[in-house]
Amino acid sequence: MLTRDELERYDRQIMIRGLGEEGQEKLKRAKVIIAGGGGLGCSASIYLAAAGIGVIRIVDRDKVELSNLNRQVLHWDEDIGRRKVDSATEKLKRLNQGVEIEAIEEMITEANISQLVAGFDLIVDAMDNLPTRYLLNKAAIDKNIPFFHGAVYGFEGRAMTIIPGKTACLRCVYRGLPPEEKFPVIGVTPAVIGCIQATEVIKYIVGIGELLTNRLLIYNGLNLKFTEFEVKKDPNCEHCSYQ
Amino acid sequence: MGIKVNIPYFLQHLTNGVELAEVNGSTVGECLKHLVEQFPLIEERLFDEQGKLLIYFNIYVNGESAYPEELAKPVKDGDELHIAFLIGGG
Repeated sequence: MLTRDELERYDRQIMIRGLGEEGQEKLKRAKVIIAGGGGLGCSASIYLAAAGIGVIRIVDRDKVELSNLNRQVLHWDEDIGRRKVDSATEKLKRLNQGVEIEAIEEMITEANISQLVAGFDLIVDAMDNLPTRYLLNKAAIDKNIPFFHGAVYGFEGRAMTIIPGKTACLRCVYRGLPPEEKFPVIGVTPAVIGCIQATEVIKYIVGIGELLTNRLLIYNGLNLKFTEFEVKKDPNCEHCSYQ
Repeated sequence: MGIKVNIPYFLQHLTNGVELAEVNGSTVGECLKHLVEQFPLIEERLFDEQGKLLIYFNIYVNGESAYPEELAKPVKDGDELHIAFLIGGG
């Protein structure tokens, strides 16, 4: 049941055909884990908190550094040296007191991932490295939790939505590990991709629209083009082929 | 008419800034070989020492993945290839 304040706060989105009060209540009941409090995590979490997601858990083990501030917009000059999860939690609570924000300062590993995602309805992939993305993809499939992938490099971004048991997964598309490197990025790129991930999360929870499944979206900010590639479940995928 | 190959931004310094190259060939492998003839510096970024496409590149033909036998995938004039690199930044 929505309160009077909530009806007013979310009035403009409740007006959206197919969302309504029922959809807003679904958002309020939803529990979303955001893996990573960097560029993508900041962007996605701002719009998910503003939209009224009930519980948002942010997982990140890093502290805020000066070089983060060009893109990680929940972290400000005064936050340098603070835990990212604390900095993000404080801002998100100021944005929307009605959303419960859980801060988990941990590195995501094979040993703790089951516990970290337990009880959550959706996982947002906002990591900054591929090995952890693969861990999240596997956990999402094993636990049957929808998984919302995003990644960035420079002015380029990617997004894809994975529904375990039904659609191609990240491992069907991504294979191997390129050499590790410090990646270039400008803040507008994770802003765009994080918003696409948040859009997908909201659509999934409410049950409207067409999800970005079996499609890899590539965004090129330099020529301002979105290109879409069709992807299929890999029958030999090491993560999802058994399903 | 030929076949167009979209080069990702991070490889364009190896193609003199060219984003869309025109190549000929009847398979993806032949097209990439022709691309390398035009821009030799790109070869070591795309292929290993055995001439195999590096695993973290995906090739799409007219928007569809060419995996698993990317290099053997047949193509025809008018087709468009995309070279996509696996990215992980957040």
